[in-house]
Amino acid sequence: MSGSPSTATSAAVDQGTYRASCSRLLKRLAQSIELIAARPHSGPMRSRMWMRYYLSAVAVTLICTAIAFPLAAHVDLINVVMIYLLGAAIAGLLFGRGPSALTAVTNILAFDYFFVPPLFSFQVFDRSYLVTFAVMLLVALIVANLMIAVRAQTEAADAREQHTAALYAITRKLAIVRDADTMIITAIGHIGDVLQARAHVCLYDESGQIIPQTGQCPSGRARFLPLRGSHALIGMLVVERPEPNCDLLPEQQRLLQAIADQLALALERVHLAELAHAAHLAAERAAMRNTLLASISHDLRTPLSAIAGAGSIMAQPDFALDVYRRETLGRLIEDKARDMSDLLTNVLELVRLESGAGVIHRDWHALGDLIGIAIQRQESRLMGWQLTTDVPGELPLLSVDANLVVQLISNLLENAIKYTPAGTRICISACHVDAGVRLVVEDSGPGLGMDAPDQLFEKFTRGRREGTTGGVGLGLAICRAVARLHDGDIRGTASPMGGARFEITLPGVDAPRMIETESRIA
Amino acid sequence: MTVGMHLALVVEDDAAVQKVLRMMLEGNGLRVVIADNCARGERDARSQRPDIAIVDLGLPDLDGVELIKAIRTWSSIPVLVLSARTAEAQRLLAFEAGADDYVLKPFSAPELLARVRAALRRHVRVELPAGILQFGELSIDLSRRIVQHRSGTEVRLTPLEHRILESLARNRDRVVTHSQLMKEVWGPNHADTRSLRVFITTLRRKLERNPTRPTHIMTEPGVGYRLVVDSQQGDAAGS
Repeated sequence: MSGSPSTATSAAVDQGTYRASCSRLLKRLAQSIELIAARPHSGPMRSRMWMRYYLSAVAVTLICTAIAFPLAAHVDLINVVMIYLLGAAIAGLLFGRGPSALTAVTNILAFDYFFVPPLFSFQVFDRSYLVTFAVMLLVALIVANLMIAVRAQTEAADAREQHTAALYAITRKLAIVRDADTMIITAIGHIGDVLQARAHVCLYDESGQIIPQTGQCPSGRARFLPLRGSHALIGMLVVERPEPNCDLLPEQQRLLQAIADQLALALERVHLAELAHAAHLAAERAAMRNTLLASISHDLRTPLSAIAGAGSIMAQPDFALDVYRRETLGRLIEDKARDMSDLLTNVLELVRLESGAGVIHRDWHALGDLIGIAIQRQESRLMGWQLTTDVPGELPLLSVDANLVVQLISNLLENAIKYTPAGTRICISACHVDAGVRLVVEDSGPGLGMDAPDQLFEKFTRGRREGTTGGVGLGLAICRAVARLHDGDIRGTASPMGGARFEITLPGVDAPRMIETESRIA
Repeated sequence: MTVGMHLALVVEDDAAVQKVLRMMLEGNGLRVVIADNCARGERDARSQRPDIAIVDLGLPDLDGVELIKAIRTWSSIPVLVLSARTAEAQRLLAFEAGADDYVLKPFSAPELLARVRAALRRHVRVELPAGILQFGELSIDLSRRIVQHRSGTEVRLTPLEHRILESLARNRDRVVTHSQLMKEVWGPNHADTRSLRVFITTLRRKLERNPTRPTHIMTEPGVGYRLVVDSQQGDAAGS
């Protein structure tokens, strides 16, 4: 008697651990069921899975017996039957038809062996227990069938939800992507994730030819899905499963088709956007060409007529040419020809700069040096203007294209000369700022005379309407193109000196290094 | 200076430019031979022995750069390039082939004539009297490494600055390319132009009256540097 309470507690503990291990088992089983629902497995794996189910089915009987056996002495046999029924119902819930039938049978056998008199024998004295057995079997099977139906529905709902989620995910991804290549990569990656299939996309060009793609050639068992746009076939989605004998399930096929449709839509959107952009560019180019032609024809014809006139005068043998007249005419021809040359240089330069890549040759330069070259270029025109420079010697070196920066400064100087009266002060200064080096060209002239100085940097824009001053308004457009090619910027403001002020920021300064290099080398 | 009856070979295919150049050069006391392609240019250069060659780059048979290379194999006469090509890579090619100077089309008469005179002067005067070079208000004794201001004060240069100045002075009035300059001053394995830029800046601060508007150490953008010795001084030293 002294031992019995301890046995009872140990039995209770045993039952506790049983339950714990049981629930762990169920959880594991539940996970494996989800695995089944998620992905179909190949033959040997599937049979191993069923094996586990049948073993689990037998285990359910063992658990029921273990629970019922200690209770049997205290309760009516009908309650023991209930425990077995519960076990059968759980088996039906978890393992499907076959294993739950097995549970029903083993339950009956265990009930018969352990609880129905005579105990520990399969003999049955009371024939009415046969009815109990039949009912137990029947209830187990009904529950199993019901559960299978419920599970099928759940699985279908899960699959639908997965399908919808996958489709939603790819639609969202495709919506935020802007170029065709990334879209295709996104779709292929998605198909790989969701369907464990290798996919690639062949696109057709305008004439219906397949644009060659790098990548593996599809094998015979690949599935081809057309990517249909609203007008024409855009391309083909080629999907290939890694395992030969495993075809896609119907809902996976539908998902694939839906992804293909989404991809086709997205690709068509990109195509249309490209067309719209091209049309916009073409219109802009046409407008630009017209402006260019109008400006150039005006600005080339005017000096040309002067040159032709001057030339014809000089060529006339009977025209009295004194030294003064000859010099005037010669100078006029030279100046006008030079204007035309400058104009052509500017137009060509701007076209070159705007065509973009590969035009910039960076090297290390001292800004003071570049300013010097620009001043030298404008030397002859600078007579009569008061130019001051304020460039500190310790300014760091800049990694820039020398010719372009010289041209930028030269253009600003030329503008200052062109648009201010002789005698005006012009100041070029530079200083080190956080973003790099700031270069300032300012004057004490009449100022920009514009409310929106940014507009000045557009092509063919001039501060004042065409007047007596020549030029087509390309100088500042070139300055901006140069500044931007160097990742810098240019701004026009009013100068404290009273006139116009242009501020250029050029990044790309060298780390501070000075003469200490000498002591090392020399 | 004895420009006298120097002979200029003009290699240029455009008739109008030929005419202008002939008038320009003959009007300033030079004799002129004109060739309109590379082959004829090289033949004339060998047979006529000109004192200076003025070469266009875009020629009908070959590129002018090839002609310069060919002339350089046997002659050291000054070669002046006259071209509409503005890209610095092309200018660099011409200088590396051995051109002495590069004048951009459209050119003006005074500019071209000044360059022609400078080139002839450099060629005539190979050696400096006693290795002393004078320009502006400075006199440079290259062998003793002393730079003196006209007032008598000495301008102190660091050894590297001196080497740069010496290299420029040896090739005065002619462009020294970056690579040539760096090879002569730092040795063959130095590729970083940054130190060169820094030293040119410090040299200008020591030698030029206004360092941002230099008149002697001139930059040829994208190509190199040129030491300009002003003409009166140069003539005085030469005659």
